[in-house]
Amino acid sequence: MLPFKRRISIEAREAFSAYALLTPWLVGLGLFVLYPLIYSFYMSFQNVRVTGDGLIMQPVGFLNYKNAFLQDSDFPLMLVRYMQETILTIPVIVLFSLLVGIMLNMKLPGKGVFRAIFFLPVIFATGQVLNEIFNQGAAGLSLLEQYNIQPYIESNLPKMFSDPLLAVLNKFVIVLWYSGVQIIIIVAGLQTIGRPVYEAAGIDGASRWETFWKITLPALTPFILLNTIYTVVEMFTFPFSPILGLITNHMKYTGYGYASALGWVYFSIAFVLILLVIWFFKRIDGQSEKRR
Amino acid sequence: MRDWAYNLKKGFRSLRRMTTFQWILFVAMTLLAAFMLLPIVYLVNHALKPFNELFLYPPTFIAKQPTLQNFTDLIVVTQSSAVPVTRYLFNSIVMSVLVFFTSCLISVLCAYPLSKHKFPGRGIIFSGIIISLMFAPEMVGIPRYFVISNLGIINTYWGHVLPLVAMPVGVFLMKQFIDQIPDELLEAAKVEGAKELRIFAKIVVPLCMPAVATTAILSFQTAWSSDETSTLFMEDETMKTLPFFVNTLTNNLSNNVANQGAAAAVALLLFLPNFIIFLAMQKKVITTMMHSGIK
Repeated sequence: MLPFKRRISIEAREAFSAYALLTPWLVGLGLFVLYPLIYSFYMSFQNVRVTGDGLIMQPVGFLNYKNAFLQDSDFPLMLVRYMQETILTIPVIVLFSLLVGIMLNMKLPGKGVFRAIFFLPVIFATGQVLNEIFNQGAAGLSLLEQYNIQPYIESNLPKMFSDPLLAVLNKFVIVLWYSGVQIIIIVAGLQTIGRPVYEAAGIDGASRWETFWKITLPALTPFILLNTIYTVVEMFTFPFSPILGLITNHMKYTGYGYASALGWVYFSIAFVLILLVIWFFKRIDGQSEKRR
Repeated sequence: MRDWAYNLKKGFRSLRRMTTFQWILFVAMTLLAAFMLLPIVYLVNHALKPFNELFLYPPTFIAKQPTLQNFTDLIVVTQSSAVPVTRYLFNSIVMSVLVFFTSCLISVLCAYPLSKHKFPGRGIIFSGIIISLMFAPEMVGIPRYFVISNLGIINTYWGHVLPLVAMPVGVFLMKQFIDQIPDELLEAAKVEGAKELRIFAKIVVPLCMPAVATTAILSFQTAWSSDETSTLFMEDETMKTLPFFVNTLTNNLSNNVANQGAAAAVALLLFLPNFIIFLAMQKKVITTMMHSGIK
């Protein structure tokens, strides 16, 4: 009887200390994130008017959501366009950061300086500076026009693919500037692979190419997953995202109810995307597990 | 100083011993790095541009006739504002420093049990964090205002700090790093008699330092450049922060062309603390990454 009792008390103690550590975060999350989110979800089913006495709400059911897709002339179009762009940009950022991260881990003079420089854009990531440069057109690739790449892409691909592709190419420099955190994550991930593993592989006669596919990449998988999710989040909460701009505009002129509905559509898409990414990586993980 | 000289000498020696592949890599990295540095070049030069160059199209990266005119303009503008600029600056510093420390501490405190403890409700809490990852603060301004006003912290520093403290991205980063720490390490410490807090401070925090430092940089930068809390939760002009003041320079005036020069100068000044924090923390990121070698 005694060992059983003791076991429970250990588990209870673990749970207790876990909650003790979690409390400050949970309070903050609940008050400033979850409660406001639920409230905005509630508002998305109401017609909200701001008056001197406070908010006046009228339940309208799914009207806001219906209007978003059937009445609004901007929202669905902008959403589709932004989604195409985002889905193209995410793999570019993830691959680019993987590549740079691996290069930064190689033997190279001035490695520390390079690492610092590539991490530097992190402090611009939400900055107005970046937006200003971007708006003034200094960030585009002038190469695109000089070498007639633009008409070439336009004539060889259906419009559905060529437009977002060009948009991504036009933002290429921005993509570079947005991969600071991701690069650091990859570099840090590479540090977790011990040198003995590589030495053992070398003794067994594995080429560098094989080592990369069999050791480096599998060890990096959790970090690549982290990067992908981080990038999705970054793209969706990017303060200058045209959709967020649209939503804030509706907040000012159309009403909070409608703006909340738009917001929820937007965030459910992000959420589904994240779930897909997690599911995809789980599958990859499962398969490599099986092979072992 | 001697360190620098030594490193430089070592650097040159290794430059001479590079293979062809390393040269190609080196050149490629230098080009990319130059790209990465462009925003800073732009920022500095923008602040030094005389008035007629600020609105050139296409914009130039390098100022042709650099002047300090923008900074003197800025001093003139600030002297005419109702609340002294030093007050805005003070508020900004207090708020950013508070956010910087609390958000790091709270995030690690949250990430550690999420990653290494078994307890009921873990899955729910983690999905709560993933959900909250995706929301943008613009969305929840109104409900947040209710929370803040019901807590009675309008016009206090709490109103600045609390909404920014929860950084789901930070927790997520840290959790992923702590997941990589082998359980055996923590168990060994437990067997040796280390208490929870000791394990946390001596093992977990040092090993996920890259994530902590990244979160620190992100949180400072968010707090330092946010004008939202000032616009939404502060009615008292003396409690608002510097970014808010900068926005009033360019947004609210009808002749918003006039202050563009001053705004460019302020943008540079606003950027400097970010840069300093970055330099201080990034060294931490990189050195701990080189020495820790979790596995």
